[in-house]
Amino acid sequence: MPFTESQGSDAPVIKKVSKAILNNELVRGAGRALGALGLVAAATIFGVGVLGRGDITNVTLLYLFEIAAVSVWMGYRPSLVAAVGSALALDYLFLPPYGTLIIGSGREILTFGGMFATAVFISSLNERLRKQARAARQSERRMDALYGLARELVDAASADELCRRSVSQVELVGSLTACILIRRGDGFARAIRSGGQVAVETEDVNAANWAAAHLEAAGLGTRNCPSAMACYIPLIAARGCIGVLSLRARDQAGGAQPRASSLIVSMARQIAMALERALLSEEKQAAQIEAETERIRSAVLSSVSHDLRAPLAVIASASSTLVEHGDRLLEPARTEMSRIINDEARRLNELLKSLLDVTRLQSGGLKVTHEWESLEEVVGSTLRRVDERNKDRHLRANVPSDLPLLRLDAILIEQVLLNLVDNAFKHALSEQAVEIEVAIRNGEAIVSVIDHGKGVAADEVTKIFDKFYRSEDAAGGGLGLGLTIARGIVEAHGGRIWAEHTSGGGLTVHFTLPLSPAPPRLAGFEAAERASL
Amino acid sequence: MTPGPSILIIDDDKKMIRVFATSLETAGYRVFDASSGQRALEEVRTRNPDVVLLDLGLPDIDGLALVPQLRVHTTSPIIVVSAREQETDKVKALDAGANDYLTKPFSVPELLARIRVALRSHARIGDTASTVVTFGEYTFELEARRLLRGDRPVHLSPTEFKLLATLARHADEVVTTNTLLKEAWGSAFRTRNGYVRVYMHSLRRKIEEDPTRPKYLVNESGLGYRLRTSGDSITR
Repeated sequence: MPFTESQGSDAPVIKKVSKAILNNELVRGAGRALGALGLVAAATIFGVGVLGRGDITNVTLLYLFEIAAVSVWMGYRPSLVAAVGSALALDYLFLPPYGTLIIGSGREILTFGGMFATAVFISSLNERLRKQARAARQSERRMDALYGLARELVDAASADELCRRSVSQVELVGSLTACILIRRGDGFARAIRSGGQVAVETEDVNAANWAAAHLEAAGLGTRNCPSAMACYIPLIAARGCIGVLSLRARDQAGGAQPRASSLIVSMARQIAMALERALLSEEKQAAQIEAETERIRSAVLSSVSHDLRAPLAVIASASSTLVEHGDRLLEPARTEMSRIINDEARRLNELLKSLLDVTRLQSGGLKVTHEWESLEEVVGSTLRRVDERNKDRHLRANVPSDLPLLRLDAILIEQVLLNLVDNAFKHALSEQAVEIEVAIRNGEAIVSVIDHGKGVAADEVTKIFDKFYRSEDAAGGGLGLGLTIARGIVEAHGGRIWAEHTSGGGLTVHFTLPLSPAPPRLAGFEAAERASL
Repeated sequence: MTPGPSILIIDDDKKMIRVFATSLETAGYRVFDASSGQRALEEVRTRNPDVVLLDLGLPDIDGLALVPQLRVHTTSPIIVVSAREQETDKVKALDAGANDYLTKPFSVPELLARIRVALRSHARIGDTASTVVTFGEYTFELEARRLLRGDRPVHLSPTEFKLLATLARHADEVVTTNTLLKEAWGSAFRTRNGYVRVYMHSLRRKIEEDPTRPKYLVNESGLGYRLRTSGDSITR
């Protein structure tokens, strides 16, 4: 079955689209017939003018030559037109009685019949040759296309890339736009065009589903869901349909209509086999990653439960000491036991708090309330809480007094600052001050928490934001969640957070908050109030 | 010995009640408890406690809904106790008439400090002397509508005065942004919290030595402001 001819007998004619083609065919056919008749006329004029009525032998040869020429140049059907035309002209002008279509003698019947039969024979012969040549050309193109596809598919790095390459190859064959839909369950996981992934919804999912479910082409140009905008060919591999190849005309008006030609179907088969291999290997990789994640998760779980159990164990022993031997303990010892219980309970509370925060962040349970807030106040509140908790540490802040108000969640941003400051304190010596700096740059507020402690290794600068990541020499057993939580909150505000080395040693963590349009301004209020006085 | 002020603890955790009752009794308070909303209302009616300590996580009734019901029977300070996840409940409880809040887990000194503040604040109501509030080197005379630093007056705009006056009437208690908006601008402005931020910014510059480390006009993120007049360290 040829794939470039648009005359396939198996395709039901779709009225609107095919009309143009039909007209086109008719016009072309009529043109050819006219051409053939023109040649008949030329041969006749030459026969009458040059050869004369008597030279019936040469006139017959001339007509035969003319019919052979039409057959070679214009094809089978025009040559039949030429044969009929020539026979009639021969009969009318050259066979007596002249001027009528009546044939006088048996000899003349032989001349007339012989010429017509020879003409048809030559035409058929030519037509067969033509068909063979066409078949040879097609088979060559087909081999080229399939070979090209195989070459492209062999070293595709991923299923996506494989799909992209397949789509490009398919598009080379017909002037159409192709797309591969990868199946997952009863739907489609992704759609890939030559440019990359597109939304699955850009395709007619119903028709694609039909094709996948029935293992049969569907959509435009087929009997199934013919109203779809594209033709869908199932990609059938060993384990069933793994996807669908979609074909649509390149431009809306005219152009070749996509259809499931045998070449496209062969290509689809080849794509399906390669894609199946690629998908299988991707699934295997995903399973490996899953296993790795699971391993890390259980490692984390055991480390977390250890961290949580440690303060609990201390509380249990200290309190049991008080319960069992409280009356025999000296006052200082009793006070110490109580203080230990108090401290460890606080620590346990902090640990649980950060676990809860990170869980909330990850489950999407974090609600950000955007209100007009003053960063000066948020920093001030952080300073107060830090000062109350760490009386022996130094925290300095530098906040410009003309900061505009920002729309943010003050509780959450305060949490970010507290986490960053806690982290800085953990990594700096007690006499070293930690600084908070706020600045406005490039349309955003940048808050920096600067410490002059030991800093982290170069490769840790990004890792420290990972969940449960703790730097090797981390003092003061946190869970390694503070920076993760900070990152989650900052990102929920549309900001960025990153760390870098403080010049002269130590770590600086910056985070940005986008400025909000039209903040309430002090100047305006004061003026308004003065005016009203 | 005269009996100390009475405190009603509304909490469904018996152990929690035991622990706080012990500490409060040691500090000289009389303690009652109620483990349900229904009991709490009865206790408030019959005993008229001086301070109510209300846990927002009660089993039979929404703690938030209980605040206005308690308010019907008593003008005594109500301190709400909430878990960390109930930030918004806290604001709602304060707006509904609670005077202050504590976030679980809190320490006994914190609890005692809040109770002292609440009692002092309550005693000030109706007391003519309360029209003068002092903090640090400042004297704020509400009647005379003036703020003195030592003996020099500090100029306040009318809105600044209203804000400071609202905070001063609830000295050492947290005042929500909503309340401040309502007092200074009227209830139509309830959603315009930016106004409060803007004025507090200028007020801090007039009063505080270091506006990023305010000593008197302290901000409670997500809640509101507190005018700190005493040394009662209030840690969260």
